Amino acid sequence: MTALERLIATIEGRPVDRIPVFCNLLDQGARELGLAPREYFADGERVAEAQLRLREKYGYDNVWSLFYVGREAELLGCEAMIYSAEGPPNVGHMVMKSMDDVDKVIVPDDVARHPAFEQPARCLKMLKREVGGRYPICAYITSTMTLPAMLLGMEKWMPVLLGPPTPERSALLEKCHDFFVKEVRAYREAGAQVVIYANPFASTDFMPARFIRDEALAWVQRDIEAVGAEGMVFYCGGARVTPTIDAVLNRTGLRAFYLSPLDEVAEAKRLTSDRALCCGVLNDIKLLRWSNDEVRAEVARMLAAGMPGGHFLFGSLVMPLGIPEEKIHAMVDAALELGTTK
Amino acid sequence: MRIEQITQAYGDALFDTDRGQALRVIEEAVHAGVGPEDVVFRVVLPTMENLMNRSAEDGATSLAQHFLASQISSDVVERMLPLFQKAHVSSGTVVIGSALGDFHGLGKRIVVGCLKAGMFEVTDLGLNVTAHRFVDEAVRLGAQVIGISSLMVHTATGAQAAKGVRALLKERNLEGRIKVIVGGAPYLFDENLFRTVGADAFARNGLEAVNAVAGLIKEVKP
Repeated sequence: MTALERLIATIEGRPVDRIPVFCNLLDQGARELGLAPREYFADGERVAEAQLRLREKYGYDNVWSLFYVGREAELLGCEAMIYSAEGPPNVGHMVMKSMDDVDKVIVPDDVARHPAFEQPARCLKMLKREVGGRYPICAYITSTMTLPAMLLGMEKWMPVLLGPPTPERSALLEKCHDFFVKEVRAYREAGAQVVIYANPFASTDFMPARFIRDEALAWVQRDIEAVGAEGMVFYCGGARVTPTIDAVLNRTGLRAFYLSPLDEVAEAKRLTSDRALCCGVLNDIKLLRWSNDEVRAEVARMLAAGMPGGHFLFGSLVMPLGIPEEKIHAMVDAALELGTTK
Repeated sequence: MRIEQITQAYGDALFDTDRGQALRVIEEAVHAGVGPEDVVFRVVLPTMENLMNRSAEDGATSLAQHFLASQISSDVVERMLPLFQKAHVSSGTVVIGSALGDFHGLGKRIVVGCLKAGMFEVTDLGLNVTAHRFVDEAVRLGAQVIGISSLMVHTATGAQAAKGVRALLKERNLEGRIKVIVGGAPYLFDENLFRTVGADAFARNGLEAVNAVAGLIKEVKP
């Protein structure tokens, strides 16, 4: 059974040899190739090469086309990234200084032909050539409601969302939705099969339940209707997913949920039942200090809660660069071993 | 309207993230003759305490509610303080900033708002702050507490964040006089991380930061 077959069978609730195991190693790529981050991220084939090597080294089931989250801002006019040797790059230039700058957000007619998509496209091409059809190729795409935070800054976007509706807010959301649809299309056409749909504004950790019910879910529904639920994975950026799972399932037909480490796996499984794939997420920040035995015990605890009834995938969160390789092996090895179907 | 009703109405407005209604409640209270001291001590501060308790009990409050509550309450307190009959006593002095390499400011802004609402003197050093600047500014302003915010793991654990500040405080023999508190996403995912980086405390949110900072100030040697 290939990793891709395993994932599809798990989503559909068919028998599998073991649960799918996803691991999100992004910043580790530069270190794997012995390159500085700026040099590494400048070449899509280097990113693909590192993804292939990392997957081979640890033995998990997925590869990423994501360079870093701020890449989306570059597609919308961001001119500067701030690189770090210790972690992911930061957006160094806000496309918008205020809501008066909505006109400065230019959505490309064709994302695939935008210069900032050239390297992700090369990365996807290589991944597709090397492991396409065998390993799921993942992309990360920010939802309509969350994207303005990357253009304007979270500090400025949140009060706008909490305030009364304005023509500028509507115009910005429409632009971001237009971009979202075009970006999903570009990534899919280039070879991405799994799209992580990132939307912290649909988590009750982030926004009040009333706001989610009245506003956020309508945009989730519109986003998903526009691109189709196939291959889309709902994710709240590390914030809890469980409180909104039922509403999202009912309104969108999404069939996969990437939980937060703060979610209870058993509760998420109870809510999704056999309607969707639950991706249990290990609190990987603790890998910085846990012993191998503690790592294995936590994997075992999660799998005991998630595996009964199937429809379960094991995954990691942000995987900070400081995590020792030994701990990555301990986590993945435990998930591969304990996740094997008896 | 009785003061308890005003407090209830203000709390409801903050919980509903209704900025306009929250400000109207305060305006009407002032117009009805409620004194500035009562607005601060019997409306704003108990409401913030209540929000913190709701957050701690069942996690039923969101980042957005904390954000709006902190911004509105700090504005109200700032407006009321000059109107006090007697000069108010500051709760303490804090310098705060986002760690070097961190360009995320929302969480810090919430904490600043909550501390100001709690009548602390707060100096916001902004984003991307070095360990030297944290310590130099704390000394210059006579701060008892340095607050360091990080959204990312590497900016929380980096040598220029709490670890660097701790080393400088030690080197300058200031550890008794200046305490260090940290906050941000990495600390929520590992509640022992603050010890690893050499901080004296951490807070899950801005509301909790008020009590944590007050506790640290009690430990400071004059």
